[in-house]
Amino acid sequence: MRMSSLISGTFGLAALALVATPGFAQSVEKAPPKGNYKKVSELVKLPDFLPGIGTLYVDPKTLPAGPFLAYDRDGKLSSTIYMIPTKDLAAQKKFEDLPAPGGRVDHVDLYFNAGHPGVEEPHYHIVLWHVPKADEAKVAKK
Amino acid sequence: MPTRRHILRAGGGLAAGFFLPAGLIRASAADDVVEIHMQGRPDGSAVWFDPIGLLVRPGQTIRWINSDPGNSHTATAYHPRNGDHPLRIPETAQPWNSDYLLPNEHFDVTLTVEGVYDYFCIPHEQSGMVGRLVVGTPSGPGARSFEGVGRTTGGQNGLPVPEAALKAFPDVQEILTRKIVRRA
Repeated sequence: MRMSSLISGTFGLAALALVATPGFAQSVEKAPPKGNYKKVSELVKLPDFLPGIGTLYVDPKTLPAGPFLAYDRDGKLSSTIYMIPTKDLAAQKKFEDLPAPGGRVDHVDLYFNAGHPGVEEPHYHIVLWHVPKADEAKVAKK
Repeated sequence: MPTRRHILRAGGGLAAGFFLPAGLIRASAADDVVEIHMQGRPDGSAVWFDPIGLLVRPGQTIRWINSDPGNSHTATAYHPRNGDHPLRIPETAQPWNSDYLLPNEHFDVTLTVEGVYDYFCIPHEQSGMVGRLVVGTPSGPGARSFEGVGRTTGGQNGLPVPEAALKAFPDVQEILTRKIVRRA
């Protein structure tokens, strides 16, 4: 896999999400989100609260990309996460019009994940944080 | 502290898995239980079994413990009954599959048939999360090379083994020499 194409593709996706219109921010601001979102820990066997991420919800029809909505222990939306398989990035697969319902984005993280139930292949997490950097601690390990 | 227990005796005879409350965990003699921890980086970018290679005596119990607070893992034998994977445990041994273990859960297998046992984590095989056990004297399919394994689907060859997994297996001779092999 060429890392340069992977990274450029990943950044392109993040940029796409950043400019998306926050049309449904009010309906997802607090857990549980409205619509077809289901708690991930009730769909697959994963801890209810994931250190560094929080409690995840996803519309199963959107797997594996998502968006996944992540909430802190107080049920407040902290981030929106897209999970993009590395094989799709390497194949330069196009992802268009991914919903971005969480509203304002403070900053973005991209990092590799080796896989987990639900997305059982190596992939990238593209994290749109809706909270300041300091508030990431609210989803950190206790 | 592990919160539940699964037990499987993986010898030539009966195979059964079941749960027991945590209070009964220490029922076995400590010397006959060896632990393998399922580990992961906090951001999930790497996952592994620790140790990845282990030499044990016939009749010893292997206990896999999920020590990764942010992920679920399995300990699953390479065997056609486990999702058409290739046979990489002794022919007369029973395969096992722990199913998903949440953080702090554990699963026990007692191995009585001598030979080499290769196993993997279902959601992380593609990322190279595999392990190898040598029980007594190395023999059986797991002691042979992967040459010709996984080139066809179905039948004895089974599904292809991912490249990352092939690279991760410790050498049998290294396990015999060092007894405990940790990830490089």
